[in-house]
Amino acid sequence: MKTIPMSRRAALRSSASLLMAGASMPTLAAVGGLPSAAHDDSSPEWERLAAKLFPGKRVQAGSGIVQLTAPLRAAYGASVPVKVVSKLAQTPSLYVRRLHIVVDKNPSPIAAVIDLTTEAGQADFETRLRVDEYSHVRVVSELSNGELHTDSRYVKTSGGCSAPPNRDALHLIGRTMFKLPAGVTMNAPTTADVTVIHPNDTGFELNNVTVMFIPPHFVRSIKVSFAGKKIFDADLDFSLSENPTLRFNFVPRGPGELRAEVVDSKETQFVGTLAVPGIG
Amino acid sequence: MLRRVWLAAALLIIATQAAAAGFPPAYKPSVIEPKGVPESYEFDLTAALARARAEKKRLYIYLGANDCPFCRKYEAFLDANAGALAPHFAKDYLVYDLRSTLKAQGERLRFRVGDKSWPYKEFMATLGDERARQLVYPSVWLLSADGKPLMQMPAGTGTFETVPEQLEILNLVQ
Repeated sequence: MKTIPMSRRAALRSSASLLMAGASMPTLAAVGGLPSAAHDDSSPEWERLAAKLFPGKRVQAGSGIVQLTAPLRAAYGASVPVKVVSKLAQTPSLYVRRLHIVVDKNPSPIAAVIDLTTEAGQADFETRLRVDEYSHVRVVSELSNGELHTDSRYVKTSGGCSAPPNRDALHLIGRTMFKLPAGVTMNAPTTADVTVIHPNDTGFELNNVTVMFIPPHFVRSIKVSFAGKKIFDADLDFSLSENPTLRFNFVPRGPGELRAEVVDSKETQFVGTLAVPGIG
Repeated sequence: MLRRVWLAAALLIIATQAAAAGFPPAYKPSVIEPKGVPESYEFDLTAALARARAEKKRLYIYLGANDCPFCRKYEAFLDANAGALAPHFAKDYLVYDLRSTLKAQGERLRFRVGDKSWPYKEFMATLGDERARQLVYPSVWLLSADGKPLMQMPAGTGTFETVPEQLEILNLVQ
């Protein structure tokens, strides 16, 4: 089969249609949506997606290079906390170059593709995802030497009778904020949160009042730098929850500015900054 | 005459549905009716916690609404699988069935323990439960005899409507 190399953006855009196209394909592996799928099972969706994203490459599972944590059942399917932990530091000789976060069964399964530099210090990430139905959530860690390592968790979600989501703060859309939850540690990986106030509408949600679908409107990318140096560029999708938040690391080597440049699906641009003081 | 027949039939259907609402009897649920209706729907958990302490059991607290289709679905599942599930419930849990309505949202839904009463969000925050953000019917809480949550439960019951999954919940599989 001939495969066509895809850019990350193209991969994100085409992931929904990949699922649609694959609807009638024979089952290749354990099917999601089962009450008792194992965390490390594959799925037909993943088999197809991996073949497109990493053609001809071996994706190693269980190597211990990357670990994904997610609850078996989250409080809400629209906000499933996930944590990626990398077992190697970001050194020039070997580092995590890219992280792919995938939700097999979502209409658009590639939730995030994060390009990293050694300025991150430690390629750990936390965020919250929408998980549409019983599905595996996966991370693929692409190292600077070209190796691919993966880990996965099976997550169960469902709906119920509830009030519609709160959309009272539309005037705040785009407000981008940083937090340093544990303060600053000079010359060492320092944890930071970047949050964008944004509904991250999927396009699949019905407005209870108008009975019309709410058009898709979501954060498409977040680029974060410190003191002018790139920490990471993240291509994102509506699989991230409302008010997308990324917890990441960076290594401050003196005072500087954390800066996030955000673009959403209407091509609106937002910027958030935080001055990080030096210590001493 | 025909109108009377239709009316009687409609009332019969409503009465049947009302009787069917709630945790199935095979699980020996204790029903807690709300107080303060219609201004508020306050559920008093004081006696449930006292009994759990006395009997050294956990609490399986179910909040259902009389007008909630997802609640009927879960109750029907429990009813259909009572033979397989009821003994597992009885082994470790006391089941309490809180009878609410979808109208009971926000500040109107309250919980009481002793002389303290909280609206839904504050009660969830007190428990450290992530479901403070949004109330979903039905909801289930698993509490220890001293009122502490045994694990973070999901909103709704859709992820444990098979026998193996219900057993996962009872066995606190996370």
